[in-house]
Amino acid sequence: MHVVIINGSPRVRKYSNTEKIIAAFAKGLSEKGSTFETYAVSDRNTWDVIRDAYIKNDEILIALPLYVECVPGLLLEFLETLPRKDEHTRLSFLLQSGFAEGCQLRCGEEFLAKLPAYLGVRYGGCLVKGDNFGIRILGEEKQAQVTKPYQAMGELFAEEDGFFREEAQKFTGPEYFPLPVRLIVGLLFKTLGKKMFQKAAASWGCSVPLDEKVWEA
Amino acid sequence: MVLMVDTTTEHIGKVIAEELSRSGDNADGFELIDTTGMHISHCVGCNYCWLKTPGVCAIQDDYEPILRKMSKADQVWLISDTRFGFVSWQTKNIVDRIMPLVTMYLKFQDGQMRHVMRYDHQPDIGIIYTGDGDQVYLERWCQRTALNIGSRSLGVFSDSQRKEAVSCML
Repeated sequence: MHVVIINGSPRVRKYSNTEKIIAAFAKGLSEKGSTFETYAVSDRNTWDVIRDAYIKNDEILIALPLYVECVPGLLLEFLETLPRKDEHTRLSFLLQSGFAEGCQLRCGEEFLAKLPAYLGVRYGGCLVKGDNFGIRILGEEKQAQVTKPYQAMGELFAEEDGFFREEAQKFTGPEYFPLPVRLIVGLLFKTLGKKMFQKAAASWGCSVPLDEKVWEA
Repeated sequence: MVLMVDTTTEHIGKVIAEELSRSGDNADGFELIDTTGMHISHCVGCNYCWLKTPGVCAIQDDYEPILRKMSKADQVWLISDTRFGFVSWQTKNIVDRIMPLVTMYLKFQDGQMRHVMRYDHQPDIGIIYTGDGDQVYLERWCQRTALNIGSRSLGVFSDSQRKEAVSCML
């Protein structure tokens, strides 16, 4: 099978977490003998080329980050430019987010589940996974390590059942964290987490507190 | 204060503002922003507003004055055309770029991870839409969006129900 993979993130490819996830996923496709071509909507100059690939192929996967409970505005704009196709085309999604729990992505997933009908095409399911915020700030080796699980999902996708198999559903992990985990992680957020983010910010050249009320100064 | 942000091609915010004026009580307590002709980019996900210049968006266009008003408002009404049953990309861009109001810090609230808000006051959010909106989905999305900034949904109204929306603004 041949898959057109569209990176729906507005962030430039070089720094895109979704791009790293796609790379691992595509490796899985290759392992199973499938082929792929990748595009990214972050570069508007390529929109005509992406649209052309969407029109000419019938196995499309859009991988995207969750932006305020749904699709990023830029991807929404691109989607408006797609012509209507028929059910020979299957459209699947890989929805990833920063927040870690499955419940955070369900509102976005509902939109994606309904979207193919608006475009006239068939829905191939949605792979849902959170806890990806950190990919960007990790070194290359660590990046490969944390995105590795997506390779197995690529292998699964190559078996042509979209994301409807139980393995794909389970990949999301917990819908909510149990209370003891929330208490411990909540405490870490207030202590180590703050320090970690402040350190990451310092490496970006930031010298003010991350919670500064800039408009009240 | 009630703030309306109108991205519709038919400028329906004007009609809603007139109705609100006529209804008396809150005639002066609102502002309508029509984004026609404004330069408002999409969010590029650079995370600068969280990690490099906290609270300040790296994109310099016509958006910041709108966000400043949104952060002070009691109610923000998104007046939007619809596509795929959802708000237009023009409206989604305005919502995606509220991130400077949110900090990088995290907490758990009502069992879910949330960002710690930058300011003490948060606006409630409502939607008034034209066209073939998916009412049930828009309600879910509006509630979830409000949850993210620690406020409440004011409800979702089609253009034909705008009188009801106006009654929520009084």
